[in-house]
Amino acid sequence: MDFIANKEIQVQEMLKTIGVASIEELFCDIPTNLRRIAPAVDDGLSESEGMLLMEELSAKNTFPKFTSYLGGGAYEHHVPALVNAVCSKSEFLTSYTPYQAEASQGMLQAIFEYQSAVCALTGMDVSNASLYDGATACAEAILMALRLVKDRRKIVIARSLHPNYCAVIEQYLSSHDVEIEWISFKEDGSIDQSVALNLIDDQTVAVLLQYPNFFGVLDDVKSIAAKAKAHGALTIVNANPLVYALYASAEEIGADIAIGDTQPLGLPLHFGGPYVGYIACKQEFVRQMPGRIIGETVDSEGKRGFVLTLQAREQHIRREKATSNICTNQALAALASLVAILWYGKRGLKQLALTNYQRACYLKEKLSNLPGVKIMGNEPMFNEFAVKFSGNIEGIYSHFRSQGIEPGIDLGKFYPELAGYILIAVTETKSLEQLDRYVETARTIKASLGFG
Amino acid sequence: MTKTIFEKSQSGQHAFSLPKDNNAFKQYAPPQALLRKTDPPLPEISELDLTRHFCELASRNIGIDNQFYPLGSCTMKLNPRVNEWCAALPGFARTHPLAPEHTVQGNLQVIAELIEMLCAVSGMQAGSLVPCAGAHGEYAGIKMIAAYHKQRNQSQRNEILIPNDAHGTNPASAAMAGFKSISIRTDSSGDIDIEHLKELASDRTACLMLTNPNTLGLFSSKISEISKIIHQHGGLLYYDGANLNAILNVVGPGDMGFDVMHINLHKTFSTPHGGGGPGSGPILCNNKLKEFLPVPRVEKNKEGYHIVWQAESSIGRISAFHGNFGIYLRAYLYAKLHGHYGLRKIAENSVLNANYLKKLIGKLFTIPYPQYCMHEFVVQADTYVDKGVRALDIAKRLLDYGVYAPTIYFPLIIKECMLIEPTEGESKATLDRFVEILSKIVDEIKSDPKIVKEAPHTKPVMRLDEVAAAKSPILKHSTK
Repeated sequence: MDFIANKEIQVQEMLKTIGVASIEELFCDIPTNLRRIAPAVDDGLSESEGMLLMEELSAKNTFPKFTSYLGGGAYEHHVPALVNAVCSKSEFLTSYTPYQAEASQGMLQAIFEYQSAVCALTGMDVSNASLYDGATACAEAILMALRLVKDRRKIVIARSLHPNYCAVIEQYLSSHDVEIEWISFKEDGSIDQSVALNLIDDQTVAVLLQYPNFFGVLDDVKSIAAKAKAHGALTIVNANPLVYALYASAEEIGADIAIGDTQPLGLPLHFGGPYVGYIACKQEFVRQMPGRIIGETVDSEGKRGFVLTLQAREQHIRREKATSNICTNQALAALASLVAILWYGKRGLKQLALTNYQRACYLKEKLSNLPGVKIMGNEPMFNEFAVKFSGNIEGIYSHFRSQGIEPGIDLGKFYPELAGYILIAVTETKSLEQLDRYVETARTIKASLGFG
Repeated sequence: MTKTIFEKSQSGQHAFSLPKDNNAFKQYAPPQALLRKTDPPLPEISELDLTRHFCELASRNIGIDNQFYPLGSCTMKLNPRVNEWCAALPGFARTHPLAPEHTVQGNLQVIAELIEMLCAVSGMQAGSLVPCAGAHGEYAGIKMIAAYHKQRNQSQRNEILIPNDAHGTNPASAAMAGFKSISIRTDSSGDIDIEHLKELASDRTACLMLTNPNTLGLFSSKISEISKIIHQHGGLLYYDGANLNAILNVVGPGDMGFDVMHINLHKTFSTPHGGGGPGSGPILCNNKLKEFLPVPRVEKNKEGYHIVWQAESSIGRISAFHGNFGIYLRAYLYAKLHGHYGLRKIAENSVLNANYLKKLIGKLFTIPYPQYCMHEFVVQADTYVDKGVRALDIAKRLLDYGVYAPTIYFPLIIKECMLIEPTEGESKATLDRFVEILSKIVDEIKSDPKIVKEAPHTKPVMRLDEVAAAKSPILKHSTK
């Protein structure tokens, strides 16, 4: 099938107007030796055949049948029904980037509100309209810091930043003359403060930390940020934005640039995307911000309106001198996060965050009471923590999976020194019964592995 | 005056609900010292008011579903609703990016087959769906080119040649990847100035970035010669796939001599633009560059599909997980519905529609390049500059007549440029109506230019003050 309106009768009329006998003539600038022969057989599908195909493919994914405790930068949360209702509206879904402001006031205002919501959560002054994801937001934040803090080349990054994000940063920085120093983590998963403080000096551009870090630990960012400030370096904090509804905001812990991924707010897992990279900063850094920014203004009659602004930073104006190459961003996904943030609202987000925290604490405590279970540490946490069960890791995984549970992320795959540890994420989607079943399954590991 | 949602807040109201709390959970309290000091200044609002707010905003926005949207270079085609149905299937939507590979075989099959299909269309040998947008694909492709030269001890190749009518992302991506961009002139026929290209190509050339058809909507018949010049100098050819719609299954970038390219699935393969994104910008290449493709990759063996997380010569990782899966899933279905047969029809009909419009609009405005165009064409709307009417004014007046404006002032090399792209889906009647509207606007310019200069008159706002917005920026809601 296709979605082409004009059929033979209109095609002939149009060809006549143009003054050619066939469409093929319009391709005359394409050298004939390069031109392909049109396929003779219609190999397309009907809509119903296409739907059947996609249903069959989706049924090959058995993952949704598992009760999953996977997190690590992508979390299973409730997505309010209103989110899809708003995002599927034709006016938002099928519109282009709002270059014609007068015909795009709805989207412009929505993104202005998204920027306001990101600022409300992080405590920062300015947010952009979105980046691709949390990982590219990290890379962009460092490039931004390099423009702000000139004549220095040392970037200090916590090894407890999401390992995939670390890889993306290394990729982006490989074409720049910079040096990365890594802050190690301690056995309990927390950042090694003394290493961090030692690494920051007068050559440091910025320090980048994750809050809570990849192992779920809420590190003491404040003292590191203070040291960075004293040396004229910037502090960049990558965070699950939901954490700011409960714990101190990026501003309160001393961040200059706040980044992360808004996926936990209104976006389904979708195998890793589309998500939204958010980036927010203090007012004085706005001119080095990457990507689009929406601003408020007035029309010729003084009526309030919204426009794309500070465009002199962007690729369509500044070309090779732009602050980033980003053009298409994640606007509709940012709208989804906005709707979710508003649906929860001031009180709801805090309760949602607390619910996550309490359920994670419950599972952590119950597991810690089991013999042979080692909890990575007892540092302050949000909704993730790491544990080690005794036994071989493949056996442990197959035992959980045989009970329909995906128990968490195998940390040994990312950090060889943490082999045996499993990173568990608990959100509001997990009931008491499910959490108890996790504990019960953990209790029976030994028996199933034949050690009992 | 429209209010923001923050200004509609009513103390104590809310929409949310949470799963029932349980006493077993209540005992856990986070450490007091680490808590947030003041609540985030977010609105408090009921679900009804929230729903109405977004209905109001939607009514102040225009999409392809509402109107003809001839925005050049953006390929604003129908976003079929069946795509949206597909992306929402729980079997896809509920898969975690770190799920064990045996539990996501459907996803991996979609990835492998979509790459295969895009390779067939473009004449390439391998690819990756990881880039999240066109510019992200450009960045990945340039990094692959850098890795290729590095492997051959050719790191002195630090220049990228880019025509002066190229998309702004081309030089911006080159800069981000650490390259210097060198601008090539366009000749009077709208093609690359070959003599200038010969002057510029050297052993410092890493690659040439080219859109073909270019941003003037013209296909470069010199493409084989251009390819020869660059390759003779040891450089590579990058294809910006923004204009692929015109040549689907008519000619492949691989057949023209390109080594690496990206495709904007949110243009050619109908995934929605969503008011600015998310898109998807798969990168495709020939065997020369295959080993440098980003990770993760999907491979097939006897047991099924599996994920390759690391590969020795790969440029590495450019996004957190597998890219915008939910977007390229839509493109996969779109490609399956069309088949190679239908994809060819897309190219044919987009080119037919553009040439039909061009012929008719040529009676109203200057057409700088008279030859047949591909899927889009440029109009030089400078005839009425003496009456004070510019391309911007015509664009704004079009909004009053219920059509979206074309792209204006791009490419930068054409005076008072309007870049018009009617996609394959538009009917003859829609195109005829567009010409009638333009003709009416020309009459207005002649009789009453003020009405055009002050347009739009029927939109929620009049012309907006962009200078004021940039001078003293208001970038978020503030209670002050």
